Amino acid sequence: MEEETKTRVLPFFGIPAVLPFIAKYRKRIIVMILMGVISSAIDSIYPLFNRYVLNHNIAEGTLDTMPLVIGGYVALLAFQTWDNYVTTYLCSRVELWVNRDLRDSAFNHLQTLSFSYFNQNNVGYIHARVLSDTGRIGELVSWHMMDMVWNSSYVISVAVVMFLTNVRLACLTLLLVPVAIVVIILFQRVLVVLNRHVRELNSKITGDFNEGITGVRQIKTLAAEERMQREFEKDTEEMRSYSVKTAHHSALFSSSVTFLSAAALSLVLWQGGYLTMDGVMMIGTLSVFMSYALGIMEPFQNIISTITALIQIQVNIERLDRLLKTESDVADTPEVVEKYGDTFHPKKENWEELQGEIEFRDVSFMYPDGDEYVLEHFNLKVPKGANVAIVGETGAGKSTLVNLVCRFFEPTKGQVLIDGRDARERSQLWLHSHIGYVLQTPHLFTGTVRENLCYGKPDATDEEIWNALRLVSAEDIVRRMEKGLDSEVGEGGGMLSTGERQLLSFARAILADPRILVLDEATSSVDTVTERTIQEAIETVTRGRTSFVIAHRLSTIADADVILAVRDGKIVEQGTHHELMQQRGYYYQLVMRQYDHLSSNMLE
Amino acid sequence: MQPTNTTQKYNTGRSLLFHFVKGSKRFFGAAVLFSMAVTVLDLFNPKIIAFTVDSVIGGKEADLHGFLGDLLADIGGPAYLRTHLYILAVFVAAVALLGAVSRYFFRLMNAKGQEKLVRKMRDELYDHIIHLPLTWHNANQTGDIIQRCTSDVDTVRRFLAEQLINLMRVTILIFFAIIFMSRIHMGLTLVAVALVPVIILYSFFFHSRIGQSFMKVDEMEGRLSAMVQENLTGVRVVRAFGRESYEKERFGKFNELFMNSWVRLMRLLAIFWATGDFVSGLQVLLIVSFGAVLCVRGDLTAGEYIAFISYNAMLTWPVRMLGRVISEMSKAGISIDRIRYIMNSVEELDAEHTQTPEMNADIVFEHVSYAYESYPEQEKAEDPEDTGKRKKKDREEAAAQKPEPKRNENPNVLTDVSFTIPAGSTVGILGGTGSGKSTLMHLMDRLLELPEDGGRITIGGCDIRNIDRAYLRKNIGIVLQEPYLFSGTLAENIALTSERMELDDVRAAARVAAFDETAMKFSKGYETYVGERGVTLSGGQKQRTAIAQMLLRKPPIMVFDDSLSAVDAETDAKIRAALREESRDTTTILIAHRISTLMHADRIIVLDHGRIAESGIHEELLEKGGLYRKIYDLQQPA
Repeated sequence: MEEETKTRVLPFFGIPAVLPFIAKYRKRIIVMILMGVISSAIDSIYPLFNRYVLNHNIAEGTLDTMPLVIGGYVALLAFQTWDNYVTTYLCSRVELWVNRDLRDSAFNHLQTLSFSYFNQNNVGYIHARVLSDTGRIGELVSWHMMDMVWNSSYVISVAVVMFLTNVRLACLTLLLVPVAIVVIILFQRVLVVLNRHVRELNSKITGDFNEGITGVRQIKTLAAEERMQREFEKDTEEMRSYSVKTAHHSALFSSSVTFLSAAALSLVLWQGGYLTMDGVMMIGTLSVFMSYALGIMEPFQNIISTITALIQIQVNIERLDRLLKTESDVADTPEVVEKYGDTFHPKKENWEELQGEIEFRDVSFMYPDGDEYVLEHFNLKVPKGANVAIVGETGAGKSTLVNLVCRFFEPTKGQVLIDGRDARERSQLWLHSHIGYVLQTPHLFTGTVRENLCYGKPDATDEEIWNALRLVSAEDIVRRMEKGLDSEVGEGGGMLSTGERQLLSFARAILADPRILVLDEATSSVDTVTERTIQEAIETVTRGRTSFVIAHRLSTIADADVILAVRDGKIVEQGTHHELMQQRGYYYQLVMRQYDHLSSNMLE
Repeated sequence: MQPTNTTQKYNTGRSLLFHFVKGSKRFFGAAVLFSMAVTVLDLFNPKIIAFTVDSVIGGKEADLHGFLGDLLADIGGPAYLRTHLYILAVFVAAVALLGAVSRYFFRLMNAKGQEKLVRKMRDELYDHIIHLPLTWHNANQTGDIIQRCTSDVDTVRRFLAEQLINLMRVTILIFFAIIFMSRIHMGLTLVAVALVPVIILYSFFFHSRIGQSFMKVDEMEGRLSAMVQENLTGVRVVRAFGRESYEKERFGKFNELFMNSWVRLMRLLAIFWATGDFVSGLQVLLIVSFGAVLCVRGDLTAGEYIAFISYNAMLTWPVRMLGRVISEMSKAGISIDRIRYIMNSVEELDAEHTQTPEMNADIVFEHVSYAYESYPEQEKAEDPEDTGKRKKKDREEAAAQKPEPKRNENPNVLTDVSFTIPAGSTVGILGGTGSGKSTLMHLMDRLLELPEDGGRITIGGCDIRNIDRAYLRKNIGIVLQEPYLFSGTLAENIALTSERMELDDVRAAARVAAFDETAMKFSKGYETYVGERGVTLSGGQKQRTAIAQMLLRKPPIMVFDDSLSAVDAETDAKIRAALREESRDTTTILIAHRISTLMHADRIIVLDHGRIAESGIHEELLEKGGLYRKIYDLQQPA
């Protein structure tokens, strides 16, 4: 989404923001770091075996201490193997624990956020916060930290060993390190930018494929194949040239680092050679220096790329932190939480019965991201069990009222009263537990039919379920399925038709036996038989309940107690069907216009 | 997945691979040559160091031979070099520099080769896909095709550019290392090489196990991700039913499962890495101790010993990598088959001698009948588990048995439809959902092919089967019910297929489509970015954009396939009035289920379940009192 283009460095790379998640595992992290330090210290010792063999055994031509050398080596190796295993395992555990905790917190926090958050951020964006940002942060506190530890302790212990052995040669070996660091940093900078660009191009190409495939009908009717192909090839060519450019830089980069290592080696050979000839140093020591010289550049490269990664992960930390710190626009007061409980810990013993009388008292409302009132001084009293219909064109803002009833949003001014008391005096969960909601595009969850139907009432018996199904004439749908109530519905209910999903979501709403029912009526083209069934289902479920129907087809709402006509986000007319038809206003127009559309469907 | 229609153009994965590699061969060839140079140069330096240590520093009799020996002798031999040690140091640095340059070219050539190859794959796939018939697109899922074009392409790229090249590189390295090492000491070489196959096998075995674990992790991740996706898209349902706690619990469970699958994988990896280090360490020990023994016995000099140890160190990592490379190579076979499926599907074909007749002519439908083809259920050949050769044969057999489309089993969508649309006239087609009205237009635009025995459609007396397809489609403008807008600006979309890009022309067309006002309301006007990552237009706005798009290119035949359905009645009337003005001599076909949309047409055809129920002008049809009358009555406000 909002890819940060410039890199700025926050104090401690922004890690303090996620410190509480890490602190929990601090003991294990300390053990992990200690063992990592030991392991890389051992790594710097291995060449010393070689030196000893060269200086003692080979130079003096004796095998006397060989068993000792072998024994010591094997013991050290075995210890290090164990050490490495423990470190890696701990490291991955820490990563996975932190990941899990972050994901849990992010997800749970999302469950408490208000709708304005979901309206302002699309699903893909939020999804990435929960799943990918958390992963990157987990990686940071484990592997990146471990890399840092390993490489820096290796460098330090090698430097110590070298200085203890021969100061002059040690200085000489490390002479090229600053050069290498400069080279590495310069290249890293360029590569970060290039890599980002390549990633962007890559997602562009995926987008192109998507367009070419989903828009194929349009391409064909326009005979625009060649043009599309040309456009596509522009992108693939750009991708090719950028990828090659990236490869050019990274090849130059790794070649330079290898060359610098070899240059360090040749320095050691030159000066060390004289020292050896002069008898100041033995051949074994020279050999050890040569292997150190060859191996010292790589850890620096690793350290710098770790730092680069840290800088990049800052963005992830910031984004996740922002999510976790987002406060819900709709929140229960501490007093309400005290009495009714919070989202995850309801105190049901204190919950009152909900009757279903709703009153809008002088309500003015503006969406948090809007700049215009969509409701002004609105008054409406809906008695218990009454039926309110909301009509208007697509996108006219029909759901505003429903959002207020459900307390998905709160009025900017004025009050919404439920059973005569301000909605804010009771908890959201209390209200939501009494609301049934049927969406225009019915939303089912992956799982069985039973799991979906019991969504609003987890303890429903089979008998209750079948009753609900019967009421909405969905019995046959389930009977036809191989495993009945235990049949899988597929991802998002994908194994069912739209009409079937619609009916099941009615059954789900009915099963929860809500006092208030909200229906976002379907417009989708279902066949006539299903349409009629759905129509009947609507009548069944609204009976005896306070209901709000967002109507797309007007024929169904003629008996509504109140009809609200919405235009450009505002309620323009209010009254019964009869009253509004006589007014010959906007509602009348809507009815006239929709008549022909409706009837042609009724033909079949 | 079953192909709708396949050829055996690429009958094996290898033939397709060869096809793609064409054009990149020289880059890969150069890469292999440079890789050889890298290897040899890398192997040189330990040799120089050995000479330095033994002859120059150690003062032993130099056993100089070969090119290197001659060179060193020319310079002045060990005695001279003793006082001029820097020459050797420069020598080492120079060889390293050459090595670095070769390494750079190796990687550059390899990148050039692979990027060219990937580009070719992408371009050909895209080109092929947009030329595949609509029936193919209907039979295959978008997500699946995209995956084949992206991640499968990437798998193949990795196979060629990384795995195959790596395999080659390591083989070259082992080959040359053995030569260099055996020159120093044969016995020690055998010791060093003895463990190579063991390490490769061990790492191969582990990586296959790890691959299985990875699949489990993937599966768990998929489930977790789907769960979050559902929770987010269904946030209203969750809240309205007050089921946050339940969702929390459910997420916690999936989250834990996902973590545990990772833990299992990581434990395996930790064991593998640790034991790998142990085995490599042991191998080094073997060389060190055998080498020491040989040195003490005088079979090996100190310099040679040092050189040998560097050679051995050079082998360790590549050899350990090799097992992984081999275990991952099998994935490429599946991916190439998945790509092959697309490349083997048959594109829309044109007749041999196509015609380009005058299109402002009578359109005649003669006894047109059509039924959709049905295809067998999708076969799950893509199961990632069916790696290896066991299933390869099955796959090939499956591909060889072309499924016969079963046209006859499906009921006809259109049955014996005959009528004529005189040039320049306006014809309305009325019918409910499923009456076959859109199929009729798809047939006319050859989005669907009329079978040989399905009657014929002629334009100006010429069978459309013989008309050049692109020509036909360029001359028939169809506005679809749900038009697709491509990512780009509004102006770009409207001017998509016409040469006229002037804003004035675009605006003029938009004005007829009653869209100009709407467009100007956007803050960026016609420069508003639409499509995938831009502004989302409403259905009616899209329809009007598409109408403007068609008007700009003024095709002689215009079809409105229910394309005013999302526009409100007033705008509908406005557009129709403007159109009548604009397109007097254009053949116009209006498809609708609103009587008001087509009542002014020169002729109205009423379709019912794929047959012509009645036809005539508005008044005649009202008089008749048939289906049209019934619809008309129903559509009158009560």
